[in-house]
Amino acid sequence: MNTTGIPLKEPAVSAAAGDTEQLERAYIDASTRVPVLLFYTSAIAWLILGTILAVVVSFKLHSPDLLAGISFLTWGRLRPAHMNVMVYGWASMAGMGTAVWLMARLCRARLRFPLLLAGGGAFWNLGVLIGVGAILLGDSTGFQWLEFPRYVAVILFVAYTLMASWAVLMFRHRRGDQIYITQWYLLGAFLWFPWLYAAGQLMLFVVPVQGVLQSAVTWWYANNLLFLWFGAIGLGTAYYMIPKVIGRPVYSYHLATIGFWTYALFSSWTGMTRLVDGPFPAWMITASIAATILTMIPVATVGLNHHLTMQGYFPLLRYSPTLRFTVFGAMSYTVFSVVGVLISLRSVASYVNFTQASIAYTHLGLYAFFTMVIFGSMYYIVPRLVGREWRYGSLIKLHFWASAYGIGLMTLMLLAGGFLQGANLENPTLPFSESIETVLPYLRGRSLAGILLTVSHFIFAYHFGLMLLGLGRTSTVPTFLNPVEAETSGGGH
Amino acid sequence: MKGLTALFLGIFGTFAFSWIGLTVIPTWQIGHLNPESDEEGTDIYPRPQSGMFERGAHVYAANGCVYCHSQQVRADYIADDIQRKWGNRRSAPRDYIFDRPIFLGKMRMGQDLANIGARAPAPEESPSTAGAASPAAQGAAVSSSPAEAAAKAGPPAAPGAAPAQSPAPAGASPSPAKQGGSPPPAGSPAAPAPAASSPPPSSAGSPAVHTSPAPPGQGTGVASPSPGQMANVTPGGSSPVAPSAQTPGAPWPIQTAGLPPMFSAAWHHVHLYAPRSINPDSNMPAYRFLYEKRRIAGERSAEALQLSGSDAPPEGWEIVPTYDAKCVVAYLMGLNQSHPLKEAKTAGGAPATGGAPSPAAPGPSPAPAAGGSPATPK
Repeated sequence: MNTTGIPLKEPAVSAAAGDTEQLERAYIDASTRVPVLLFYTSAIAWLILGTILAVVVSFKLHSPDLLAGISFLTWGRLRPAHMNVMVYGWASMAGMGTAVWLMARLCRARLRFPLLLAGGGAFWNLGVLIGVGAILLGDSTGFQWLEFPRYVAVILFVAYTLMASWAVLMFRHRRGDQIYITQWYLLGAFLWFPWLYAAGQLMLFVVPVQGVLQSAVTWWYANNLLFLWFGAIGLGTAYYMIPKVIGRPVYSYHLATIGFWTYALFSSWTGMTRLVDGPFPAWMITASIAATILTMIPVATVGLNHHLTMQGYFPLLRYSPTLRFTVFGAMSYTVFSVVGVLISLRSVASYVNFTQASIAYTHLGLYAFFTMVIFGSMYYIVPRLVGREWRYGSLIKLHFWASAYGIGLMTLMLLAGGFLQGANLENPTLPFSESIETVLPYLRGRSLAGILLTVSHFIFAYHFGLMLLGLGRTSTVPTFLNPVEAETSGGGH
Repeated sequence: MKGLTALFLGIFGTFAFSWIGLTVIPTWQIGHLNPESDEEGTDIYPRPQSGMFERGAHVYAANGCVYCHSQQVRADYIADDIQRKWGNRRSAPRDYIFDRPIFLGKMRMGQDLANIGARAPAPEESPSTAGAASPAAQGAAVSSSPAEAAAKAGPPAAPGAAPAQSPAPAGASPSPAKQGGSPPPAGSPAAPAPAASSPPPSSAGSPAVHTSPAPPGQGTGVASPSPGQMANVTPGGSSPVAPSAQTPGAPWPIQTAGLPPMFSAAWHHVHLYAPRSINPDSNMPAYRFLYEKRRIAGERSAEALQLSGSDAPPEGWEIVPTYDAKCVVAYLMGLNQSHPLKEAKTAGGAPATGGAPSPAAPGPSPAPAAGGSPATPK
């Protein structure tokens, strides 16, 4: 039992299982140390770079003369650079790290050939680095979310194959019959991504489709990357972390099953909602809108499942960093999906389709949901890899609030600004410039949010750096956000 | 074990369903469109574009124009794109069959550019402007700056782009079109133009305009004067120079005195180089790295940008576009979806776009700008 008396750390197992199992788990964790720490370290380096780019991009949008006149610092290059750094650098690497660790744990198999995996990760980072350089030097393909030139795509694909085939192999060597919910999502993500990426590359560059279909493929790719790659890893992680931290099994496997399959089925069809009213056959867009509405089913089941699992344990949010970030992310998944439905309805989309609201939507998915869940998992996993606990609870708290307020403010600004922008855009008695002037104050607000997020990420990077250098606390008790003893004196269960 | 097979099949099945449904079937449905032509097989639209256009598209991609500018016009019963004069009909899949990459776009921090080339002034309207060349005449394919354009784009890459030599009626009346300036509602009732190709509406409210049909274009079939200009008809406008007094609330961008005619190649160059010299509130980045500042050797180059104020180079210097800049302007001038398509009705109810269907005007079109009509032939 842990010394605090509240089940913050693997209580379910520690009660039931013997020392052997604890030891075995420690071995498994140790076997993942090199690759996962490599993934995390590079991810955080990308996060910092991407954040700086984001702030510059945000400021340049309302102050266009900032850093102007230099080709590689022009807004139209920094923006895709930021996007790709975040998507392929930060989110993919961090997600991969978490996924590998979770897979090893859940398969109860020690990681074989960790250096091979680490090599794949290094290769991936090289690809992202070249790709971002290519974008800044003006070699972008012009397809949103797929701006990396073809030679980079090859590097990424090879690197990915190294990483994912390994994960699938591990799954084959698993012990025990039980396949946990998290594994469904992770397996899905590992298998969907290569198909998705290959299909996108093939249909855009190798055997290019004609005309508007390029856009259809692009948005099909982008939305599926968001849902089937990041979304699946995020949900899988939440399904692991929430029950783990509170020490209670998932409320309902049946709900989880329904949630998983409806998620796979419907969310993969939502891509065309980005093209509402565009030059496409109406059925494509209608099908995507219908699918988006149907994603409310997985949202409801997953949300309900998490909620019922958490019921009675919400006070733990006060202490556990992992839980707090993960629950924030899981709740954001609901918000993200609801906003997604809202802005894809035809009547709304005709207003907000070409506005900042769609930027809000992407950030809700990639940041408020995915990134926050991944932060949570890092707070859980890193101590188990370096053998130290996080040094300062206060820094974690600061990180959380800066991130939460930052993304909250950003979403509000972009949604409100986007709706007003759209209202003016669709009012032909107003000059076009009116729609821009309307949204500019909100973009300044967004820049403020960007500063908050920058603070948050620098704090996190610093804290992570301490952990890497072995400067964490040596303790058997995890680092809590608030002191536990005072609150639970006499409690203990 | 049983669950595992089901899991794998499900993972593949759901994804295959989406992949086939949203990419494979649409490819089968609209993935092999051909250009449209009339009965005689002439008047083909769309047509492949020139090499400069292609390269311009890559400059457009490299500098991320797509992140602020869309290139799609939505139907008039859905949105107000047509009332904003961004086009005279909705965009259709066929409009894009030669676009690689495609820039439909997802954001309108800037104006829609689907028809920016169609809004260019007719060639003879920009006589004073160095570098303005005759973009409309040369059609989409060819660029702005005459000398180089002629050299580089001489043989248009695609067969289709060829016939665009405009007869450019000499001595056409001083250009009647002054650009922009009119708030949409004001200008709109003026030209409820017939949807078919008919002589220019004389009801355009500009008495000064006589609508002398221009000589038919050579090369392509019929060349009828295109009656309505997509955007910029201002009633009563017959001065070649733009009015300096702007209607408050005039749609952006507005014609400013002392600048090249709006949407001409020279105007695009000034706009790319110094966006805020045209609209002080613009938040478009300045693409100065696409331009070269050099000492004037002998005579001032015909391509040199007409800049004023703080943007102007010091005495004895000039700003000239690089080849990339010329390409991107050639690209912009080539963006034109005003040619009618069977599947997309030209908006009857959108007055300002009037009689835009001018059958003789595919993208790279003959520009027989009718003497008096403010026609851009598209």
